[in-house]
Amino acid sequence: MQNSTLSARFWLSLGLFFLCLSGMRHALSQNTSTIARLPQTTRAEAVERAKRLAAHPWVCGSSNLHASCSRAYKSDWTSGQHITGIPYNWGGGDGPDLFDQKLAKGLAAGAHSRYGVLSCTAGIDCSGFVTYCWGLSTAGHPYSTSNLRAIAGKPKYNWFTDMKPGDALNKAGSHVVLFTGYNSDGTINVCEASGSAARVICHKTTWSRYKGYIPLQYKGIDD
Amino acid sequence: MTQLSGFALLLLATAFLVETEAVGRSEVSVRVVPVAQVIRIPLASLADEKTPPVTGGDSPVLSYYPGAADELPEGPDGFDAFDDGSLLISDPLRDRVVAYDSQGKFRQSWNVGFAADSIEILSDGPVMVREAGTGLFHPFSREGKPMQDKVASAATSLEAQRLTPNSGSVTNGKGNQIPVRFNQPGRTLVSLENLAIDRSGQVYVALESTTGQATDSIDVAKTVRKYSADGSLLCETANLPLDYFIPPVDELRVHQGKVYQLMTTSKEVQINVWNTN
Repeated sequence: MQNSTLSARFWLSLGLFFLCLSGMRHALSQNTSTIARLPQTTRAEAVERAKRLAAHPWVCGSSNLHASCSRAYKSDWTSGQHITGIPYNWGGGDGPDLFDQKLAKGLAAGAHSRYGVLSCTAGIDCSGFVTYCWGLSTAGHPYSTSNLRAIAGKPKYNWFTDMKPGDALNKAGSHVVLFTGYNSDGTINVCEASGSAARVICHKTTWSRYKGYIPLQYKGIDD
Repeated sequence: MTQLSGFALLLLATAFLVETEAVGRSEVSVRVVPVAQVIRIPLASLADEKTPPVTGGDSPVLSYYPGAADELPEGPDGFDAFDDGSLLISDPLRDRVVAYDSQGKFRQSWNVGFAADSIEILSDGPVMVREAGTGLFHPFSREGKPMQDKVASAATSLEAQRLTPNSGSVTNGKGNQIPVRFNQPGRTLVSLENLAIDRSGQVYVALESTTGQATDSIDVAKTVRKYSADGSLLCETANLPLDYFIPPVDELRVHQGKVYQLMTTSKEVQINVWNTN
């Protein structure tokens, strides 16, 4: 009797083991296929895209000051103002070409979360910006700071000395920036879609502003 | 015999401990300056207001928006201090810069007409206020009157170099290199910034360091050191608080031997002051 119970337990355990193994293989193959589907990009391309968005010139027309779908909307700009850098637009993911098209159609230039996600505004937000820099489609805004980990891993190297241009600094639920290099004093250079600057900017900064952030390396990076 | 050996071992151990203590002391013997003053300025959320904020105005209260998922809070992120300790703080959501005395009492509001994210009071010169949306600096008199044309940058930055995980160098007022040694057990130097050189040539350097151990996320400690013009280390602030609610554009300023830090919480703007004199 005892022997048969033991035998049943053995076969049950073995069955569960193979079930787990099969699940792991399935998950692994799904993950591998996700990586395989990710478009490859070089670090130089990622940084070049970031700098192109930060250097993009545009002029705010009077029609770009108003958001037809929001009464509360207030523009960051003035009519006829010359701006450098794609405007910050919470929930947006527009590259330069799409942004210019939307601007020409009279959509409002940029918006903040306080106005909600608006269909009548143009520009890009922080996670849309990093997604765009990595060469991914931003249609439908598929990635936020909370799920970037699906396409980017946490590097094991020394973050303070060995990050590479094109990596990101991410704080889930809060903000993400693209790392573009170290300075000789140990501070860093980043590009970001900044709400407070109301546009995409590249600038020098210090580590203290990134306390609690996690470095991420895009899985499709072609080193 | 056993007692003698035991005594000798005890002596050796004591000598070792004294030696270790002496080495440790030589690294920490520098005067550590605690925070001398916390100036508190009230801060109010605009999130509940139904209409966009009215720009300008003479309210002593600064404004912020709390942000949302994937959006940082926005609000006061630029500041500077005059030699007498009085302050200018940006209030970008109301397109103004607000002046307070050295105790945090409201003095006046400069309605600059744009969202400002950085302020720099040039020594014996104008106040440079940076427009967040363009990055251009607008000069103002010390009383808040707009001056001539806007310029691309304010003061030139001072040089610093991180050389090894335990050393770096900064340039003093005469262009000479001052060595910066960082020998805190268990910590490595991550970065250093040459913040300011005062009228007597003393150099103020911000240092960021880390434990070097694997952590879940980025974690650094930050202090400010003061060096004499010839490179002697004079003193160092205690660790700065770094839990910023609104990440500052202007994190640190130095005037008349005092180090000022802009630290915003969800309830107030704090200006932390360390007196290195």
